[in-house]
Parts: sequence; structure tokens; C-alpha cells
Amino acid sequence: MTTPTPTPTPSPAPSLDDDLQGAVLAALGTEHAAVWVYGLVSAFVPASTASTVTAAALAHRERRDAVVALLARTGVTPPPGAAAYRPPSPVTDAASAAALAAVAEDDVAAAWRAVAERTEPDTGGELRGLALDALTAAATTSVTWRGLAGRTPLVPAFPGDGTAT
Amino acid sequence: MVAVDEEARPGPSRRTVLQGAGLLVALTGVAGLGAAGCASPEGPDELEGPLTAARSDAAAASAAAAAFPELAARMAPLADARRAHADALAAEIRRARPDRAPAVDAPPPTVPAPASAAAAVRALRGSLESARQAAGTVALTTASYRCGLLASVAASCAGLGVVLA
Repeated sequence: MTTPTPTPTPSPAPSLDDDLQGAVLAALGTEHAAVWVYGLVSAFVPASTASTVTAAALAHRERRDAVVALLARTGVTPPPGAAAYRPPSPVTDAASAAALAAVAEDDVAAAWRAVAERTEPDTGGELRGLALDALTAAATTSVTWRGLAGRTPLVPAFPGDGTAT
Repeated sequence: MVAVDEEARPGPSRRTVLQGAGLLVALTGVAGLGAAGCASPEGPDELEGPLTAARSDAAAASAAAAAFPELAARMAPLADARRAHADALAAEIRRARPDRAPAVDAPPPTVPAPASAAAAVRALRGSLESARQAAGTVALTTASYRCGLLASVAASCAGLGVVLA
């Protein structure tokens, strides 16, 4: 389950310095990777999680598209997603598939937290809304995957800060 | 981390990019520290509300675990996470606003014993949702170096609420 955060009406174009633009591109990369990961794990996780997979994959595609549109307004054409990604460990069953989904969500959370920390309060509203939405969705969706993968805690205290176990 | 398959798309590894991002996060933190030291704000710190909520939830979760052993497995990690939130928020207030130390050091709230396990869960779900919204609201408007912390706290509260659902 995800809890959408209202995103402010898009302004003409947020100002992106090189540092922030790099962080946004990295976040976009994690969204591409997450979409790819859910395509892989959907074949392994239990049928009872099918709706979680569907909702999570849709949320990542929507956020990916929102970032591409935002970048387009700033005149940036982002690179497309990679043809393939390399999971940190092989996916062979439900537990390893869930573990990969949890890692993909960790990556998304870390990248969006980095975006949030580079935004200014007066100009960063749209990106902050996306970042808050992404971190929230990662934390809520990960409850399912961490549970299946046997990871504890089910909810990290600080999603995206790099210390999550 | 889910890495791009380099054989499918050559280029710098994402690990390299993320390591650079980590360094920049550190530099941003130092810059924020200096800026906060120059300001002389008055009134409560904006993090005091989230701090009080985190302490209250930690106390309520501990009390619920003690009163209803069947809740302990879910309440202990919740209490740990909310205590970690409180510690991080208190540290940030102490750093930025030494004048608010008395508020930060106020004794923890006393929590009335819940009437039933269901009532305890219901009350915590409600307070976690309030805390998620409050931290998210601050995250959208606060200084850059606080935005990541508040967004992570909001996301964590959302995840903790899912565990109680």
C-alpha cells in the first residue's frame, strides 16, 4: 500500500544545479531499476503478493514518468533505463525475490533522500513532494518484502539514510 | 544495491556515482551547520512537535508491550524506531537551537495504560498517522539539511503504521 502525497501544481521548471540534477538522475535510475526488478520478481513471489507487486511497479513507473517530465521542462533529456540490471544475489525463489525487491526499494529511498537534501525550501516543492512520496512508498512496500525475506526490522527508522539493515 | 548490468550498458558504475553523492551530502551538512549558527530564531523549534510525538509513541508502544504480551513482537520494534526518531530530532534541536534545551530535556510523557490490546493498537495507528503527516509537512518547508531527516521520519511512521494494520 502506498500513501500518495499531494504534489504541488507543476511550476514552469524547477531550478536544478548540477548537484541536484545529478541526484535527480540517480533517483530516476533507481526507479528504472525498480521497474525492471518487479518484472523479474513477479515470477517468484507468492500469488498473495500479486497486488503489492502490481501497485509497486505502477508507482515506480508513475514516478519515473513524473521525473522524466520534470527534467524535460528543464531542458534535460534523461538517459533511458538500462537493458538489464545485475541483482546483488541470484533470484531463485520467493525469499530471494523478496530480498531483491527490498534492495530495490532501499536504493529508491536512498536516492530520493539525497534529492530531498539538495532541494531548497522555496524552490524544491515539487521534488520534495516526489521524494517524500518515494520514501513513504518504499517504507510501506518494503514491509511485505522484508517480511518474506526474513529481514528485520520490517521498517527502518531512517529510510534512505544508508544505515538501514 | 541493484546495479546496472555493465555488459548491457557500459559507463561509470552507479556505486561510483553514489559514493560521490555521499561526499556531497556530508558537505551539505557542514554548510547547513554554519548557516544555522548565524541565525537567531525565536519561539519553539519546528522539530519539537515531531520530537514530542516520537517520545509519546515510544512510551505508548513500550506500555502496550508490557500490558499485552501478545503485542510485544510488534511493539518492541515500533518503540525502538520511535526512540531513534526522538534521539535524532532532539540532537538536531540541541545543535541548531541550544536555547531550546529545556524543552528538549523535558521529562518523557506519562502514558495511561491502554484499556485493551485492540485499543492500544488503534491509538498507535492514529498517532503514527498524525506523526507521518506532521513530519511530512515540516519536510516540505524546512531547511535542506533537515528535509532528509524529516522525510525519513515520515516514511518510517508510514511503514510502522502498516505493520500495525
